[in-house]
Amino acid sequence: MPQPQPAGIYAAVYITSESTGVGGLSKIGLFRRIEGDSAWVNLRPNTITPGMGFSNNGVRQQLYLAGGNGLHRSTDWGATWKVLTGWQTKEVLSVAIHPVNPGILYISTPFGVFKSEDGGAQWREAMKGFRTWYVRQVKIDADQHDWLYATGEDALYATRDGGESWTAMSVGVPGIKTLFQHPVDRNILLVGTEDHGVRYSVDRGKTWLVPEGLASSAVYAIASTRDGSQIYAGGFRTGLWRSGDRGRSWTHVWPADEIEAIYAIFVHPKNSAHMLVGTNGKGVFDSVDGGYTWRQAGLPFAHVKEIQRYP
Amino acid sequence: MGIQQSGRGTSMGALSPMKTFALTFMATLIIVSSGFSQSSFEERRLRLLKVASGERERSFQTVAAKTLLGADTSYALVMLDSLSHDEAIGGMFYSYSLIGCYLHVRHLLPDSLHRKVRDAYRLRTMYRGDTENHWVMYYTGLYLAAQTWPSDGGRQWFNGKSSSENFREAEEWLRTWFTISSTIGQGEFDSPTYITTFVPPMLVLYDFAADSTMKKYAGMMLDLLLADFAFEHLKGNYGGGHSRDYPEDIINPLAAPSTLWAWLYFGEPEFAPWNETRYRPRHRGGWDPVYGALSTYRLPEIIVNIATDRATPYVHTETKRVRNVIRFGDQKNPPVFKYSYVTQDYVLGSLHGGILQPIQQHTWDVTYVSDKPNNTLFTLHPYYSGEELAMFFPEEKKFLADEVDRYHKVYTNPNKWNSSSPDEQTFQHRNAILVLYDIKPDSKHKHIDGFFSKNLDVMNQDRSGWILCKAGDTYIAFYSLRNFKLIEEEVNWRWRSHEPRNGVVVEIGSRAEDGSFERFQNRMVALKPALIISGHSVMLRHKTRFGDTMEFVFDGRRILNGKIIDFKEYRFFNGPFAESDLGSGIITLKYGNTRRVLNFNDASTRDYTVE
Repeated sequence: MPQPQPAGIYAAVYITSESTGVGGLSKIGLFRRIEGDSAWVNLRPNTITPGMGFSNNGVRQQLYLAGGNGLHRSTDWGATWKVLTGWQTKEVLSVAIHPVNPGILYISTPFGVFKSEDGGAQWREAMKGFRTWYVRQVKIDADQHDWLYATGEDALYATRDGGESWTAMSVGVPGIKTLFQHPVDRNILLVGTEDHGVRYSVDRGKTWLVPEGLASSAVYAIASTRDGSQIYAGGFRTGLWRSGDRGRSWTHVWPADEIEAIYAIFVHPKNSAHMLVGTNGKGVFDSVDGGYTWRQAGLPFAHVKEIQRYP
Repeated sequence: MGIQQSGRGTSMGALSPMKTFALTFMATLIIVSSGFSQSSFEERRLRLLKVASGERERSFQTVAAKTLLGADTSYALVMLDSLSHDEAIGGMFYSYSLIGCYLHVRHLLPDSLHRKVRDAYRLRTMYRGDTENHWVMYYTGLYLAAQTWPSDGGRQWFNGKSSSENFREAEEWLRTWFTISSTIGQGEFDSPTYITTFVPPMLVLYDFAADSTMKKYAGMMLDLLLADFAFEHLKGNYGGGHSRDYPEDIINPLAAPSTLWAWLYFGEPEFAPWNETRYRPRHRGGWDPVYGALSTYRLPEIIVNIATDRATPYVHTETKRVRNVIRFGDQKNPPVFKYSYVTQDYVLGSLHGGILQPIQQHTWDVTYVSDKPNNTLFTLHPYYSGEELAMFFPEEKKFLADEVDRYHKVYTNPNKWNSSSPDEQTFQHRNAILVLYDIKPDSKHKHIDGFFSKNLDVMNQDRSGWILCKAGDTYIAFYSLRNFKLIEEEVNWRWRSHEPRNGVVVEIGSRAEDGSFERFQNRMVALKPALIISGHSVMLRHKTRFGDTMEFVFDGRRILNGKIIDFKEYRFFNGPFAESDLGSGIITLKYGNTRRVLNFNDASTRDYTVE
């Protein structure tokens, strides 16, 4: 029996523009590409996959898939899976795994945030303070692991007690789509919004500012180089934008005329000139020159919601 | 309740019971066919099985029919073998229909097929889906599969959960669905298409649930689903407003999958749908009623009577619920108010309007008895938007409309025949309906369409402004308050108005209600509805031919003879054939002096007569 191969780049495929009807789900799921290889392997076919997560703490490494029919976990890197959630949680849009205690899990769903403290065996709603249900993403603060952020339809929500209660942050615009925390200066937060581009905060969300450029479109994805010196953002008919000053100003890097929307951005941690983007309906695109030129890099027709690398 | 171990036949042992069953069945068929001149349920179900057993179409239902009748059995087993390991199919439709077929025929199967069917629940992803009907099919399949293989660990299941975990989850959700459906209603209510995704799972659950309470609930849900159809049923047609339907079925009501269910359980229409090429069920749901024909469930006589007795016209109202709202709303399941007027000749029915279901809503129509297809008339605003879809689907609203267009080919089409629109509202009183349109500037399509069948016997545009139609014994008077044109199409005239603020008034009559068509016309042309537009307000006022005054303000009040209509007074079901209070979980079916009470609070039914 060959040992499972965990290292690689993972892509979450939500749907594919190729499929028609319920029977056409075979080209969706969680895909992995071994670095240096061009082939994507589907680790969980037939599963609408908005997101993923990794747990690398402790003895057991675990791979999570946020799926249309629940939160899936694999402890053997995709060979076998178990759905952890039941009927109450419906679709799972994102997962956040506590970096120190991997038994603590958070998921965001169209009907709010749910939390498990026993590795997914039991779940409870963690929505006190929310005014709306739909939560696209939930993320754990990189320093304070009881602090979390959740992107709601009407506001960005934050908790400082592990999800017991939440407070709406005054970003000033509704439709928060994605949240980014600077990898070095953790007080810097950026959000992508439905119709108001990017907003940024330099005080961990107490106050929010409007940047120069990229202030009036739909932004679904924000990512940065490992040192945070370059931040990238993209969304609906935006192409790819870059900020070299921690989100204060943005310049257009790639028009991406052939792509309707960028869902996901990945910058290789060891080579920041190597980037991938996930698109809606055009699969994955790849750049090796810091985002100036791109080529299609597999999963044609796929709606790729998230791209991550492990380890 | 426990999970029971299934029995298994062997390949050698299977032949004997198969032959026995087939011979018994054929003998029964001969007796039934010769003994009745009037079609009975027993006769219809055997006829359906016989026809389905001759089908070459690959489906679990035809496999079950062929296998149990001993007709072309070897081909049936090849079909089942192919279906059980075809990786191109899976999901919730597969989940319930595979286990349904398997449990019906397992005593006749060779060992190899037992293994393949079992493996399907390990290897195939039984995707749960995202709609009410998906979940009913998924959890019914999971419940019965977990019951059938009760001791397996997570590695034997596609989702990694053990048999007991899957069983418990499925049971919990099914019980929750029974409660919701019997207290605030279905979200996918009264659908001529999707009824065929709710009834068959409940049939196999009724037939094979080992737990007596679950079996009881399944039977009660079948009563409720079929009674809900019966209230608005007319000669095979599913009348009234529908949560979801396909354009082909909306403009040709007897083409819908519900027709075959009506034929099987209500005995109407009198013709067998598969023999009528113009009404032939399309692929979708074509042979699902085989599970009804095989089932031990029997529709209570009171529901058959409710479905077929149209001697006295009646008003029937219902409260349903909007599908789960995930964004842009402050209620997860706002109420839907439904009004139907049913006679021996037609059903005029409506939902109160607005966005109640994404994509496939059918807000109002009159459907009339006819020996010709396309026996309906309605109007709609062909609306689409990312906001509408994002209310119900988690994808980004910027491109949801295009995504949905790939699956439901006509979603953005300006000529589509199904639509929910925030710019359309109705007000119905008996056989008269006012429909108001206030199309906002940001709506993508700024016109209103109406469907007039070319099969109408008469369609006259009168100088008075009324369009007067006759179809058999049904009369229709249609009045547009603003300009319109008629566009000829293949099977219909498309009434189209480019006036964004418009209203239509429709009154329906019949030989029974009005005498001659001439008398009906004379009554109607004397009436003059009024559209009053003042600032942001759009109001329609009309006095019907029976003297009722209706006044209707868009997004405002509905007033009937000086009294404001208060939707808060709507009950869960209310009419001569049913009554139920919202949230009670108790539905009383009524016919003559007979009563049947469905009490979902304690899974009980009670039949009695009143003095």
